[in-house]
Amino acid sequence: MASTDEELVARSRTGDLDSFNQLVLRWERPIYALAYRTIGREEDARDVCQETFLRAFRALGGFKGEAKFSSWLYRITLNLCRDWIRRERRQPIAQAPEGVDLIELAGESAPSESIEDLVARKEISAAVARVMAELPEEQRTAILLKEYHGLTFQEIANMQDCPLSTVKTRLYQGLTVLRRQLERSGVSGGFRNHV
Amino acid sequence: MCEKELLVGYLYDDLADGDRATFEAHLRGCAECRDELKELRAVRADLASWSPPQPDFGFRVVRGGRDAAATDVREVMPPPVQSWRAWWTPAAGLAAAAVLVLAAAASLAHVEVHRGPDGITVRTGWSAFASAAPSAAGGSLGGTSPASDTGRDIRLASTSDAEFLAGIERRLDALEASSRDSGLRNASMLSARASDAEIIKRVRDLVAQSETKQQGELALRISQVLHDVDVQRANDLARIQQGFGRIDQSVATEAAAHRDLTNYILANAKQK
Repeated sequence: MASTDEELVARSRTGDLDSFNQLVLRWERPIYALAYRTIGREEDARDVCQETFLRAFRALGGFKGEAKFSSWLYRITLNLCRDWIRRERRQPIAQAPEGVDLIELAGESAPSESIEDLVARKEISAAVARVMAELPEEQRTAILLKEYHGLTFQEIANMQDCPLSTVKTRLYQGLTVLRRQLERSGVSGGFRNHV
Repeated sequence: MCEKELLVGYLYDDLADGDRATFEAHLRGCAECRDELKELRAVRADLASWSPPQPDFGFRVVRGGRDAAATDVREVMPPPVQSWRAWWTPAAGLAAAAVLVLAAAASLAHVEVHRGPDGITVRTGWSAFASAAPSAAGGSLGGTSPASDTGRDIRLASTSDAEFLAGIERRLDALEASSRDSGLRNASMLSARASDAEIIKRVRDLVAQSETKQQGELALRISQVLHDVDVQRANDLARIQQGFGRIDQSVATEAAAHRDLTNYILANAKQK
C-alpha cells in the first residue's frame, strides 16, 4: 500500500531521500502544470518545478504540517512564479501555437476524437491560455488552483491570505471575463454546444 | 452570502447542504442565474481543454558535494525528450537541401542505369532511351539522334559483380581514411589560426572529398540494386518457365483426351 504524503514527509524529515523522491514523483506533474499555466513557458516551468522541490527539501524542517503537503508545494511554486514574473518584468506568456500541426495532433488524439474536434480543442486551448494570461494574477491563480488542482475555497483562501468570499468573487470575476473573451474570440462555440 | 458566491459554490459543487438547497430553490425561479450557470459551465469545459505539455521529468533530489552527509542537494534532470524539430539543425537542413538538389539534378539529367552483357551503364540525358525505342520499332521517327550522341554513358565495370563491389568498397575505405586524416589536419590548422583563404580551401577540399565519397556510395548502392534485380529476374524467369512447362503438359493432356473423344465419336458414327 502506498504511503501517504504525511508519512513520506515524516520519513523525509529524518533524512530519507527515497521517501522525498517518492513525493517528487507523485507531485512533479501537478507542480509543473501549475508553473506552466502560470508563466506559460515550458523550460522556465521546468526550472520552477525543479526549484520548488529543491526549496521544499531544504525547508522540510520548517514544514509544520498545518496545511497539506501539496498546498505547501503549490505555495512555493506560486511564489517562485511570482518571482519569475517580477524578474522578467512581464506578463505570463500564452504559448499559443501559430498554426496547428496535424501530425502532432494526430499523436495526441484519443481514438474516438475526430481530427476536427482535435483542431477545435487545440484552438480553444490556445485561446484559453491567451485569455488566462491577461487575467489579474489573483483571479488567474484562484481559477488555476480550483479548476486544475481541485483545492477547496478555504485552501485557496489560506494560500492567498484572503477571506473565503474574496476567493469566490475572484473566481466569479475571472470566469466571467474568460466567458466574455472566449465568446469574443469565437473559438468556443463548438464545444459550448456539447455542454 | 450573495448570489454570485452561491453560484460559484454551486458551480464547483462546494456548498454546504443548506446553501445548496437554498440556491437550487432560487435557480428554479431565476432564468438569469440558470443561464449564467450554463455559461460558466461552458467556460469550465473550455478550461478543461487547456492541457500543459507532458515533459519527461525523472529528476530527483540527491545528496551532492564531497561530504555525503551534507544537506546540500543537487538535481538530476535528464534532458527533455526532443522532437524531430529539435535535431533539425542547419547542418541537417543543408544535408536535406543537398539531397534535394541531387534528386533534382538526377531528374533533370534523366539518369538511367542499364546493365547489359558488357557491364553496367549509367546513362544521363533525355533522348537516350526515348529515341532508341521508336527507332527499333521501325524508325518511323527518323532522324533521332543515336544514344551515344545525346547521352553520356559511363561504363562502370565489365568484370564480375563480386570484384566490382569489392573494388568500390576498397575505394570507399580509402576515401574515408583520407577524410579522417584530413579532418585531423584541418583541426590542427584551425587551432593554429590559419588564414581565411586556407580555411576556405580546406573546406572546399572537404566538400570535394565528401562529394567523391557520396558518388562512390551512390555507385555502390546502384550496383547492389542491380544485382538484386538480376537475381530476382532470374528467379522470376525460372518460375515462369516452370509455369509454361506445366501449362504445356496440361494442354497436351487435354488435347490427347479430346483426340480420343473425337476418335470415339467418329468410330461410333461409322458403326451407325
